[in-house]
Amino acid sequence: MGLGKKMKESEKATSRLHIGIDIGGTFTDFVVYDEQDASLRTFKVLSTPSDPAEAVLKGLESMCDEASRTIVHGSTIATNALVERKGACTALVTTRGFGDILTIGRQTRSHLYDWFSSRPSPLVPTDRCLEMSERVDHRGCVLTPLSHEEFPALLMKLRAHQVEAVAVSFLFSFAHPGHEAWLTKCLREAGFFVSASHELVPEFREYERTSTTVINAYVSPILHQYLSRLDRVLAPSEFHIMQSNGGRLQASQAHQLGIRSILSGPAGGVVGARHLARLAGFHQVITFDMGGTSTDVSLVDEEIRVTSEAEIGGLPIRVPVIDIHTVGAGGGSLAVMDQGGALRVGPESAGSDPGPVCYGRGGQIPTVTDANFLLGRLPRNGLLNGQMPLEAAAASKALDELAHRLGMKARVGMSEGQAVALGIIEVVNTQMERAIRVISVECGYDPRDYVLVSFGGAGGAHACALARRMGIRQILIPPTASTLSALGMLVADVQLNYVRTIMRPGHTSYEELEQEVSLLVTRGWAELQSQGVARHEGDIQCELDLRYVGQSFELSVPFTPAFRAAFDEVHDRRYGYSDKAAPVEIVNVRVQAVGKTTPPPFLLDSEGSPDPSGAFVGEYPLVLESGPTTVPHYSGERLCPGNRLAGPALVVREDTTILLNQADRAAVDRYHNLIVDMGG
Amino acid sequence: MEDPVQLEVFKHLFASVAEEMGVRLQRAAFSPNIKERCDFSCAVFDPGGRLIAQAAHIPVHLGAMPLSVQACLRAFNFSPGDIGIVNDPYHGGTHLPDITLVAPVFVDKGKKKSLVGFVANRAHHADIGGMSPGSMPLSKELYQEGVIIPPLKLASRERLNEALWTLLLANVRTPSERAGDLRAQIAANKAGIERMQSLVARYGLDVVMRNMSALLKYSERMTRQLIAALPDGTYRYQDCMDDDGVEPGPVGIVVAVTIQGDEVTVDFTGTASQVKGSINAVYAITLSATHYVFRSLLGMDIPGNEGCMVPIHLRAPEGSLVNARFPAAVAGGNVETAQRIVDVLLGALSQACPNRVPAASQGTMNNVTVGGRDTERGSNYAYYETIGGGMGAGPGNHGASAIHTHMTNTMNTPIEALEYAYPFRVIQYTIRRGSGGMGKFRGGDGITRELEFLQDAQVTILSDRRNTAPYGLDGGQPGQAGRNVLIRDQQEMGLGGKVCIEVKAGDRLRIETPGGGGFGRLNTKPTSD
Repeated sequence: MGLGKKMKESEKATSRLHIGIDIGGTFTDFVVYDEQDASLRTFKVLSTPSDPAEAVLKGLESMCDEASRTIVHGSTIATNALVERKGACTALVTTRGFGDILTIGRQTRSHLYDWFSSRPSPLVPTDRCLEMSERVDHRGCVLTPLSHEEFPALLMKLRAHQVEAVAVSFLFSFAHPGHEAWLTKCLREAGFFVSASHELVPEFREYERTSTTVINAYVSPILHQYLSRLDRVLAPSEFHIMQSNGGRLQASQAHQLGIRSILSGPAGGVVGARHLARLAGFHQVITFDMGGTSTDVSLVDEEIRVTSEAEIGGLPIRVPVIDIHTVGAGGGSLAVMDQGGALRVGPESAGSDPGPVCYGRGGQIPTVTDANFLLGRLPRNGLLNGQMPLEAAAASKALDELAHRLGMKARVGMSEGQAVALGIIEVVNTQMERAIRVISVECGYDPRDYVLVSFGGAGGAHACALARRMGIRQILIPPTASTLSALGMLVADVQLNYVRTIMRPGHTSYEELEQEVSLLVTRGWAELQSQGVARHEGDIQCELDLRYVGQSFELSVPFTPAFRAAFDEVHDRRYGYSDKAAPVEIVNVRVQAVGKTTPPPFLLDSEGSPDPSGAFVGEYPLVLESGPTTVPHYSGERLCPGNRLAGPALVVREDTTILLNQADRAAVDRYHNLIVDMGG
Repeated sequence: MEDPVQLEVFKHLFASVAEEMGVRLQRAAFSPNIKERCDFSCAVFDPGGRLIAQAAHIPVHLGAMPLSVQACLRAFNFSPGDIGIVNDPYHGGTHLPDITLVAPVFVDKGKKKSLVGFVANRAHHADIGGMSPGSMPLSKELYQEGVIIPPLKLASRERLNEALWTLLLANVRTPSERAGDLRAQIAANKAGIERMQSLVARYGLDVVMRNMSALLKYSERMTRQLIAALPDGTYRYQDCMDDDGVEPGPVGIVVAVTIQGDEVTVDFTGTASQVKGSINAVYAITLSATHYVFRSLLGMDIPGNEGCMVPIHLRAPEGSLVNARFPAAVAGGNVETAQRIVDVLLGALSQACPNRVPAASQGTMNNVTVGGRDTERGSNYAYYETIGGGMGAGPGNHGASAIHTHMTNTMNTPIEALEYAYPFRVIQYTIRRGSGGMGKFRGGDGITRELEFLQDAQVTILSDRRNTAPYGLDGGQPGQAGRNVLIRDQQEMGLGGKVCIEVKAGDRLRIETPGGGGFGRLNTKPTSD
C-alpha cells in the first residue's frame, strides 16, 4: 500500500490482526499477523505476575487499534489458581454413602518408601462434601429417587459455608443424568456456579470423573473474573483461550470450562513446533523443549498425541490434554556429588536467582549451563547478544572443586573442571534420552523415524548429541524458538471434544451406535457454529473406545462399520497380540469437532549461496567428547537460506546456542530453519 | 574408586531397563490385576543372580525376586533363549499366584556367547487353581492353594515347552487370561534382554559389567553410612497375628534388632512355630519386609539393589511363622503376616530412633474374594479386592486415612467398573471416622465398605487386626481394630477375621478396616484438620 493513499472504508473493515499471546514467567510474548500486508511480527513485554492482564493490555495497546482483532491467549490463570490453591470456595454434592470419594481416591500412596509423606489434600474439605439420597444402577435404572426434600437443607449448608461454586457428581450420572440435571438447574437458579459431571465428563470411573468436575468448579470462577476484565477492555475483539488439547475455544465459553485450559501452557509450543515442521515438510517429529529447570518432550505422529489420563499436583484430570512428558533437568540443574560418590545432576535447579555460577549473581553450585560454558559451548561474549556477560573464572573454580571432590582426573588437554563438565553433560543427556524413550519406544514408536524439533533456550547445545544417542537422523531448529508458543496459539484450530460412556456389548447394531454418536455430533456442530466456525471449515470425527471383555483399559478406533476389525488391529500393534474371537465391549463414544484456522502464510525467502562466511564470527576453542579443538562460530541471525555448515561448529543466536558435532551437516532452509543432518 | 559419571549414568540406564520391561508387561497383560492394579515387578540381575535394579510397584516383591533367580540357577544351567518359570514358595517364590519368569542375557563375544546377567519379572495372577476361586484360600496345606511350579524351563533355546504350558493352563480356572498374562511376561523379559544387549553394544561388555558391581558397592556404601548413624544396641519388640483362621490365636512374632557399627542383625528367634492355617510366611517374605523397612528408614534415594542388603543380616528360625517349612499353607503370609513383620520391626526401631519411625498402620490388607455363578450374565466369576485403612501417625504428622500402607499399594476397582461386571453393589465407601488412635498426632482413619449381594455367592475374607489393635507410640493411643459384619434380614452378625461363608441375595457385608496408631501423648485438645 502506497503512502498517502487513503484506505477505503470497506478495506478497513476487512483488515484484521491475528494475535497470539503467551504469558511466561519472565516475558509475555506476542506474535502478530496483519492480514492487510501479510506481515508477521513478534515482540515481548515484561510479564506482570501479580496481575497478568496488565502485560497483556500493555502489549495490545502498542498495536493499531483500528483493525479488528482476533486474539488467542494462553492463560495460566486457571493453572495458578489450582497450583496455589487459590480457587473459588467450592462444595461437592454426591451420592449418599460416597461423600469421602475425594479423600479415598484410589486408596494408594504416591511414595512407596516414605512413611511421612502426605497425600495432596482434596480441594474440597470434608465439611463441604455433602451427600444426597439417590442411587442409580449401571443400566441407568433408578434404585432410589433423588430426594427433593433434602434440597432446602443443602441450600442452607451451602450458604452457611459461603460457597461460590458447586461440583455435582452422582454415581452412574452418565447413564441417567436426570438427578444431576435437576439439582444443577436448582443450584444455578439459586445463583451458584455449577459444574455437573454429566455435562463435563460423562464417563465411567467415579473418582476421576468427580475429581475433574471439582477442579472445574474450583478454577472456573477465577478464570471468569479475569476474562470478564479483559473482555470489558478488549470488546469487540474476538477473543479465544488456548486449551490443553492444543485447540482454541472462545472466551465466552472458556470461562465455564476452566479445566480445559489447565495444561495449556506447554501446548502452544507443541502446536507451533508441529506447524513449522509441517511447513518444512516433516510430519513425524519429537518436540524437545529444554528450559532452565525442566525439559518437555512430546511426540507428533502426523497428529499431536492427546491423552485423557493427565494429572496435576496428584489430582486426576479426565479431559484431553496433549501428551507431554516432563523431566526435572534443564540448563539450571545443579551438579553435586552424592553421599555414595556419584555425580548427580538435578532435579534441584539454580533457577533464575541466583542462577548458574557463570551468571555472577551469587550462585555457588555448578550447573549444566556452567558446564556448557566451560567447554566453550556458549558464546564467549555472553548471552543475549553480549548484553549478559558470563564469568569464566567463577564457573571454572566451581567445576574444578567439584572435580576434586569426585576425585576426577584431568584429561589430555583439558582441565579437571572441563573433564567433570563433560561428565555433567553425559549425565544430563542420559536423563533426556530416558525422557524421549518414555514418549517414543515405550509407546510403540521408533524414534529413528522422527525429526527432533528443538526450541528451548538450553536445548541447542544438547540436541545433536541427544539425536545421535537416539538414532535420530535429522534435527530442525526453528528461527523463532522463543516465541514458538505464541505462534502455536495463532495457528491453533478450534477444537471441541465430547465423550459419553455407553457400555454396550460388541455385537450392538451399527444403527443403534449411530444414534448414540449422532447426539454428540449434533452438539458438536451446534457448538462449532457458536464458535463462529462456518460449516465448510468444520470437521467432525467419531470414535469408539473398545476393550476385550474383562480388560480394564480401552483403545480408541474410528467409528465405521468395521470398528471391530480396526480394534483387533490397533490392539495387535500396541500390545503385540489380538483375539478376533474374543467378545468386546464398547465403552465410550467420542466425538471431536474441529474448526480449521487458516494459518498465516509464511513468506519464503529464496535460497542463496551455500557459503556461510557472511555469518562467520571467528574461530574459538571448544571441548568435544573426543577432546579439545577449535571451531568456527557463526551468527545465527546472519545465516541466510541456502547456507551450509559442517561440524564441528557453533551457531550463536540471541535465544540459544547450537552445537554441531564432528560429523553433523547443517543447512538453512527457506523458512530460516536450521536443519541438521546427523552424519556417521 | 568407581567413575562417578558412569555410576550416575548406569544408575539411570539399568533403572530404565527395568522400567521399560514394566511398561511392556502392563501394556501387554490381559488381567485387570496387572493392568489396572499394577501388581507386578520387573528387575535386572548380574550373572550371580544379584539384584542390580528393580522397577517396583509392590514392596513385597522387593527382596524376594533374587531368590527366584537364584533358585533357577541352582536348578539348571541357562542357555541363550531359555526362560525359567517358578512360583514354588519353598523354591524362590512367595505365594502361588505370584509367578516369576527369569531369562538370561547373552551377548556375542568373539565366537562364544558371554553371560551379561538376567532379567526377571513377577506378576500376581488372578487365579492359579486350588480350592477356591482367586487362589487366596483359607487353606491348611500348600497343595490346596493351586498349581505348584518348581523352577522349570518354560522355554529352551527359544522353544516353548508345550507340555508344561498345557499342563499349567489345564489347572487354572481362567486359562485364556493366564495365557495372555504369561505371554506378556515373556514379552517383558524379551524387551529387557534387547535393552541390555543394546547397552553392551553401546558401552562395551567390560564397562557394563564393571558398572553392575560398582552400583552394588555404591548402594552398600550408602547403606552402611546410614546404619552407622543409628545408635548401637539391641532393640526388641513383639506383636501378634489374631489367629491363623483354623485354630484360636494369637500367634506371636518376636524380633531383636541389633545395630552394631555399620551393620544390622535382625533376629526373629522366639517367634511362634508355623501354623495350620494359611498365614505362614516363607523366608522370602520376611526378607522383603526387612528390606522394605530399612529402605524406608534410611530414606535416601539409593538404587534398590542387592548392595543395600549386604550389611543387614537376617535370622529367621526354620519352621517358624516367619520361615515356614514345606508344605505349610502360605496364601496369607504374603499379604497379612508380611504387614505384622513390618509392625514388629518398626516397634523395635522406634526405640533406636524414635523420631524417624511412625506408629503402627492398619496392619492388614483386608483381602475379600467373592465368587460364584452369575446367573444373569451366565458365567462364573472370581472377584478379589483389598481395602485400605489408617496409616500410623508420625512424630510430626497425622497419619493418612483410607490408604494402603507398607507392603502393598494396589489401587481399588472403581465402583462403576465393578457394578458393570459383577452381581453385587457397593452401598457405602466412606472413611471410618474416629478409628485412628488419638495422640498429639492422630492415626489415620480406616475405611467402611459395605457390599450388597444381588445373587447367592461364596465370600472369603482374609483379614487381621480384628482382635489386636495397631499400636500407638510415645503415648499415642492405638487405632481401632477392624470389624467384619454380615447383615441378613436386618440382623447384624459379627464375623471372624478369616472366614469363608455362603451369602444369599440381599445379604450385605460390611468391612470396617483398622485405624492407624497415634503418636505422642495427648495433653491438649486434638488438632483439627
